[in-house]
Amino acid sequence: MINPLQTQMAELLAKPGTIASIATLNESGAPHSVPAPFLCLDESGRVVHLELLETSTTHRNLLGSIWFERPVSITLSGQNGEVLVLSARPCKALVSGPLFCTYYREVRSILGDADLAAVWLLEALQIRDETYLTCKAQEEALHPFYSHLDRLVIRK
Amino acid sequence: MSVALLKKAVVTDLDEVAARYPDVPRLIILKTDVQRRGVFYADAALGLLNETLHQTTGTHIFGARDGKTAVRPESLLLRDGTSVITTPTPLEDDPYVVDVLEGEAWLFDNGVPVEPVDYWPAPAYYSKNSRSGVPMKNIVSARPQRLNIFPYRYCTFWNNAKGCAFCDIVVQLKKGRDVLKVPAKLDPVEVGEVIGEALKEQGRFSTIFLTSGSITTGERPFDDEVDYFIALLKEVGKNFRTHKYPSQMIGTAFEKEQLKRLYAETGLTSYTSDIEVLDEGLFNRYCPGKTEWIGYKEWKRRLVDAVDIFGYGRVNTGLVAGIELAGPHGFQSEDLALERTLSEAEDLARQGVSTVFIVWSPRPDTPLGKYKNASLDYYIRLARGLHALRVKYRLPIDHDSYRNCGNHPDTDLSRVLPLWEEGR
Repeated sequence: MINPLQTQMAELLAKPGTIASIATLNESGAPHSVPAPFLCLDESGRVVHLELLETSTTHRNLLGSIWFERPVSITLSGQNGEVLVLSARPCKALVSGPLFCTYYREVRSILGDADLAAVWLLEALQIRDETYLTCKAQEEALHPFYSHLDRLVIRK
Repeated sequence: MSVALLKKAVVTDLDEVAARYPDVPRLIILKTDVQRRGVFYADAALGLLNETLHQTTGTHIFGARDGKTAVRPESLLLRDGTSVITTPTPLEDDPYVVDVLEGEAWLFDNGVPVEPVDYWPAPAYYSKNSRSGVPMKNIVSARPQRLNIFPYRYCTFWNNAKGCAFCDIVVQLKKGRDVLKVPAKLDPVEVGEVIGEALKEQGRFSTIFLTSGSITTGERPFDDEVDYFIALLKEVGKNFRTHKYPSQMIGTAFEKEQLKRLYAETGLTSYTSDIEVLDEGLFNRYCPGKTEWIGYKEWKRRLVDAVDIFGYGRVNTGLVAGIELAGPHGFQSEDLALERTLSEAEDLARQGVSTVFIVWSPRPDTPLGKYKNASLDYYIRLARGLHALRVKYRLPIDHDSYRNCGNHPDTDLSRVLPLWEEGR
C-alpha cells in the first residue's frame, strides 16, 4: 500500500511554492541547516539534492553521512502551512555521467554561471507530518493535560 | 553459477581493518583493498559493459596486472563518488570479483557481495576520431572528471636500462602501438583539438592532466621534456578564456628555471614530481635512472623549489607504496617502512610539499613484478599518516583530490580537510 505521506511528499516537492531545507551533522554532531532549492524526486522515489559547491558544509557533512551513517533531515514547507519532515540517508553521490551532466545543465540554465559538485541521492527512511494544525489536533486528542486551561474557559 | 559465488564466505581483512580504524570510512578501506588485490571481471559483469556508455581499458600508459589487452571496464566508481583505479588480475591471485547482483555490478569478496559499483561513464568524444584518423580516446583519455594526456609513452631512462623497477611503460608502449594503435608521441596541435572536442560536453571535466616518460635530452637535461610540455599546455590553453586553468602535470624533477618557464608560459596550476619511494637507498636501487640524472636529495630539493613557483599546497610528490617492503632489499617490517616514509614525508610537508601514494600494483613485465604488495593495514596507516601531515601543515591537496585524480586513498581522506582559507 502506498504511504499517503509518500504521495504528499511527492506533491509538495512538485509544487513551485514549496520551501525545502536540508539539515546535516558535522563530525562533532553539530547540526547545519540550509535551503535546498533544487530538491526533487527521481523515478525510483529517491530524493535528489543538488550540491553546488565542493567545499560547502552541507556537501562535506553529506559525505560524512555516507561514510559514517550519520542521519540527514529534510524539511518541506508548503504554501498552505503543510510541513513534512523526512529522516533520510544518502545512498549515492553522482559526480560524473549522463545524469550528472543533465543536472549540471539544468542548474546553469537557472543560475547562469554556476557549478555542480555532486548530485546526492537520498532515501527517505521516515516521513513525519509536522503541519501545525495536524500536530495540534493530535496533541489535544492524545495529550489533553498539556493544554492551558484558559483555552477551555467559558467566554462570556 | 557465477564466478563470484563459487567460493565460500570467510572473514575478510576489510572487516578487521574497518574495525581497527573506525575513523577511516569503510568505502575508502574497500577502495584501497580493491586497488591492492585487483579485480576479476566475471562474464556477467562483462555482459553489462557497453562500449558506448562505459570507458574500457586500453588507453592507459601502464599495463594490467594480468598482462592482457582486452576490453574490460576501465575502472570503477563507488557510491560516495570515489574512484577505484584498479587493474584486471588473474583469479588465482585472489582479487575482488566484479559480478552481477539483481542486474547491477557489485564487488564480491569470497562470494560475498560487498558494494555496488558503477563503471566509469564514457565521454561523448570517445566515439570520435581525430583529424589524423586516430580514435580521440587514444590521444586524450578520461577519468570521471579528468582529461588525461599521456603525450609521450616512452621513458628515456630505459635507454641504458635504468627504468624504474616497478614500471612497465615501455612494454605497454609496444602493446599500445601494436594492438591499439596508440601513437607513441602526440602532436600538441592535435591534442589541443581533442581537448576542445572533449570540453563540448558540459559538466564532464574539471581538470587537465599530463604525464609522460622522462625525456633526458636538451641543452640542459630535461629541456626537451619541458619544451614539449610547454607546447602541449599552450595548445590546450587555446581552449580557455583564462590564462590559467585547473591542471596537473606529473613530470621529472625539473630545475627551478625550467619550472619558472612551465608556470609563466602555460596555464599549468600545479606540479607533481614522483619520487616513488621515500628512502634514499631504495630510491637508488629501484629508480636508477632518476638516481643517475638527478639523485634523491636533489629530487627533494627541486620539489621544495617548486613551491616558490606554484604555491603552497600546489606541489606534491607520489609514492608507489608497497615497493619499500618488496623483496630482500625492502624494509623488514611495515612499522619500519611506515616510520621512514612518514618521517621523510613530514620533511617535505613542513616545506610545503605534499606526499600522496598509489597502491603498488605489481605488474608482470617488471623486475619487482614477482613480489606482493603490502597489507591492507599498512596502506590504511599510510593513508592516515599522510592525511594527518596535511592537517598538521595546513596543506591543501585540491589538485590531486578524488575529483582531480582519484588514485590516492590518502587524498580521499582529505576530502574533509579543514578549510583554512575560509576560516572553517
